Amino acid sequence: MQENIQNAKNEALAQIMEAKGATEIEEIRVAYLGRNGKINELLKNIKDVPPEERKMFGISINESKNTITNALAEKKNSFKENAREWFDPTIPGIKPKIGHLHLITQAIDEIARTFENIGFVRARYPEVEWDFFAFEALNMPPSHAARDEWETFFVDSPKNPKYGQAVLTPHTSNGQVREMLRVKTPPIRMVNISKCYRRQADVSHVPMFHQFEGLVIDHDISIIHLKGTLDYFARSFFGPKRVTRLRPYHFQFTEPSFEVDISCGVCSGKGCKFCKEGWVELGGAGMVHPNVLKYGKIDPTKYSGFAFGWGVERTYLMKEGLNIPDIRLLYSSDLRYLKQF
Amino acid sequence: MDLLIPDNWLKEYLKTSATPKKIAEALSLHGPSVERVNQTKFGTVYAIEVTSNRVDTVGVYGIAREAAAILPRMGIKASLKPLPDTKVSFTKRVDYLTVSVDHKLCPRFAAILIKNVKIAQSPKWMCERIEAVGLRPINNIVDISNYIMHEIGQPVHTFDYDKIAKHTMILRASKKGEILTTLDEKSHTLPGGDIIIEDGDGRIIDLAGIMGGLNSAVDTQTKNVLLFVQTYDPVSIRRTSMTLAHKTEASILFEKGLDTNLVTEGIKRGIELFTKITQGQVDAHALDLYPNPPKEKTVSTNLDFIERGLGVSLTSTQVSQFLTPLGFTLTWNKRNFQVKVPSWRNKDISLPEDILEEIARVYGYYKLPSILMSGDIPEAIPDSPFKFENEIKLTLKSLGAYEIYTNSLVSEKKTGVSSLKLKNPLGKDGEYLRTTLRPSLIEAVKTNSFEKEPFHLFEMANVYLPRRGDLPDEKMTLAGIFANTDYREAKGIIETLLDSLHSKYFFETEDSQFFKPSHRLKIISGQVVLGQFGQIENTNYIYYEFYLMALNKAASHVGVFTPIPQYPPQIEDITITFPERTVIGGVIKLLEEQTFITKVELRDIYNDSYTFRINYQNPSKTLTDPEVEKIRKNLLKLVQDKFGGTCA
Repeated sequence: MQENIQNAKNEALAQIMEAKGATEIEEIRVAYLGRNGKINELLKNIKDVPPEERKMFGISINESKNTITNALAEKKNSFKENAREWFDPTIPGIKPKIGHLHLITQAIDEIARTFENIGFVRARYPEVEWDFFAFEALNMPPSHAARDEWETFFVDSPKNPKYGQAVLTPHTSNGQVREMLRVKTPPIRMVNISKCYRRQADVSHVPMFHQFEGLVIDHDISIIHLKGTLDYFARSFFGPKRVTRLRPYHFQFTEPSFEVDISCGVCSGKGCKFCKEGWVELGGAGMVHPNVLKYGKIDPTKYSGFAFGWGVERTYLMKEGLNIPDIRLLYSSDLRYLKQF
Repeated sequence: MDLLIPDNWLKEYLKTSATPKKIAEALSLHGPSVERVNQTKFGTVYAIEVTSNRVDTVGVYGIAREAAAILPRMGIKASLKPLPDTKVSFTKRVDYLTVSVDHKLCPRFAAILIKNVKIAQSPKWMCERIEAVGLRPINNIVDISNYIMHEIGQPVHTFDYDKIAKHTMILRASKKGEILTTLDEKSHTLPGGDIIIEDGDGRIIDLAGIMGGLNSAVDTQTKNVLLFVQTYDPVSIRRTSMTLAHKTEASILFEKGLDTNLVTEGIKRGIELFTKITQGQVDAHALDLYPNPPKEKTVSTNLDFIERGLGVSLTSTQVSQFLTPLGFTLTWNKRNFQVKVPSWRNKDISLPEDILEEIARVYGYYKLPSILMSGDIPEAIPDSPFKFENEIKLTLKSLGAYEIYTNSLVSEKKTGVSSLKLKNPLGKDGEYLRTTLRPSLIEAVKTNSFEKEPFHLFEMANVYLPRRGDLPDEKMTLAGIFANTDYREAKGIIETLLDSLHSKYFFETEDSQFFKPSHRLKIISGQVVLGQFGQIENTNYIYYEFYLMALNKAASHVGVFTPIPQYPPQIEDITITFPERTVIGGVIKLLEEQTFITKVELRDIYNDSYTFRINYQNPSKTLTDPEVEKIRKNLLKLVQDKFGGTCA
């Protein structure tokens, strides 16, 4: 039986060697490997093989099949162009159209995912907001000078007796007290991503932009946890070697307040023309002011927390090292720009 | 607030061997941020940004005090040298000036007469420093005022004493409509409630805290000068400066709320410099009206609170070492301590958290460890829409759509009738909060008029629907627009999108404003309108929009389980010819309603002939040819009766 297999194989190999063209090769394939080909015919004899030899028999059959298949392929490939079956693989594919998600959507997704990985819950709070949540509950009573820095748009509508004027929120920090009131009892880990508005328009400012706000409140939250969170974000979002640094700053709604720097990705912190002594400014952060916790009906003697709120556009451009001369281009609807990012 | 501090001036008060680079680094990491270290023809100059709560550091002396407290934390010796002490006698009454002061507006009022000044150019060293801080030297009188302000952060003013009628001053709130001309020769009509000074003839001679009046200004003929140093009510100063749009270095300082003790230093520095530089004769007595000096402030806290906030442990000695050079005085009782706040920090330190901040920044935030918090993970927000929104965006992207972001603030033309209006828009194009995305998308598509190929833009954004007595309803809306695109292809994309949501929906033809007649469909699920689709009037653009919330409710996020039918369908194509103006959607709906018809698909259109691919299927057996025949006959009869369609 083994011999028959060997013979069939050798016969096939001999024929393959003599073959002159693609058609002949196909005939040989059918004769040996086809459904009624010689190898399959041989396989039918398996019932006559003594049980202890069946394994060997099977192996030989398979080995012959493989050898013949390879020989067929090799021979086919050895034919000159004109003897081959004609096919042009260089012809272009028919591409279904694929669209594009806006850079800001990509940025928001990535930022949300990064924080969701460490247990943050994504929220979205109003863009048209009461003065109370945008300012007053953030420790900025009416007529406080600090409000000037926010270049706020006011809505032409009657004041609410309790919450004051409706404004376009100039920052995502309006979500802080709203989230406290929603959750009631910490833990809170929130990332609020939303549109914000400020009365400014130039190459580096647009009146409508996006921010993301982190808020963490729990027992015994201290500056080291803020640093831990920011470093986690820096590593996941910007790259494993990046670290952050806190410098003193001032915001009415945090105490202490910080300016956050990230080590420069261009020079790895050595200092270059893109950075300040190896550091690039990311944005503001701080430990939630006890007055803000009180507005959120959270007991500042039991809980503490931190918050940070940064521009989505700015943060993402920094990550990609995208050099856009005018930030307003991000809001262009021109396909020639849209396709670039 | 940005300020320029020359290194050589700083070193007059800061004793240290630290290099400018080191000083800049130390300040940035522990205190005010040094933005740049400039090398100028006047030597090294630091460009510093001071936060609005730290007006005490606006000036050479304040920065020197910060540096002296901080540098030792970087292992460099440093100490603060005191301001020169000049003898002065303060009294409540002087014979050279009669005054009446509203102390609500001016908590401390001080002045001193300096006679026979010689107006000239300032000495070279002073000119250089004045220039180094970004000002232009004028003459010795003006320069001394500026010099004192930049050194200690206290604005001082000088009047020509002989121009003050009857040597009388009345400091009061202005009445609405009063007029005054300031030294920059600008005339102001006052809004009322502004702090002004009137002289003995009832002339307004000073817009206090902002700028002096032209009628009392020092000029080249001036002989006798009244040196004037005050503290003003910050709220009044800010309001006047904002209403008149008149900001000066002085008003910026006053509106932050200054330390009343600086008045003493201002007078002392003034006496010293006027004597030295103008050879003037200083009167023996300075007028000082200061009825209610602020109380000394103390804050009580304890080491445990500090350690909890910082996340590291500290000793009481360390805490004292950090705070004392900043002017705080500490009294310890085991782990509790009381902090006496220096006058210059009276405004910004009142809580234990403020003390924590001082300790933490002197310790160095950058030296603290970095550890992720442990503790419980919060519960997810129920019905969070974000995953759904993302799925839709991704599906649209795979279907070839380009996402855009356009401004929510639009012109009157681009919004509905009852849109919210802004009180202070940047311009006419951004006066309203949009209630629809349609005009924005039409504009976006027009931006691309150069594009001749089919394209599809979409946006997902809130629209703002006003509600009486409440914030507007912010409705997340999906809208898109097709250009150069065949109606059926556009509709197919929207159908695929809806199919991908496993939602059950149907179309209903209904005309509406902005759409070409007979070219608009409502998309409905159950009783709820999900959105609309159609061709915009007078254009070839095809527009659609959906409210996300409705769409989300209509979607079933997991498909429904139906077993795979055991018996295969019989599939055949049938071509039917219809009279003109037949609604093919209705034909398909009718066919689909028939028993054992599981699927009807329009395959081809040729003139009036429509080829449908029909699946016949019985879930419990294989249909025989005669059975199919029967169903088909029935179908064709129905189509004939209802629509006049004939099968060739």
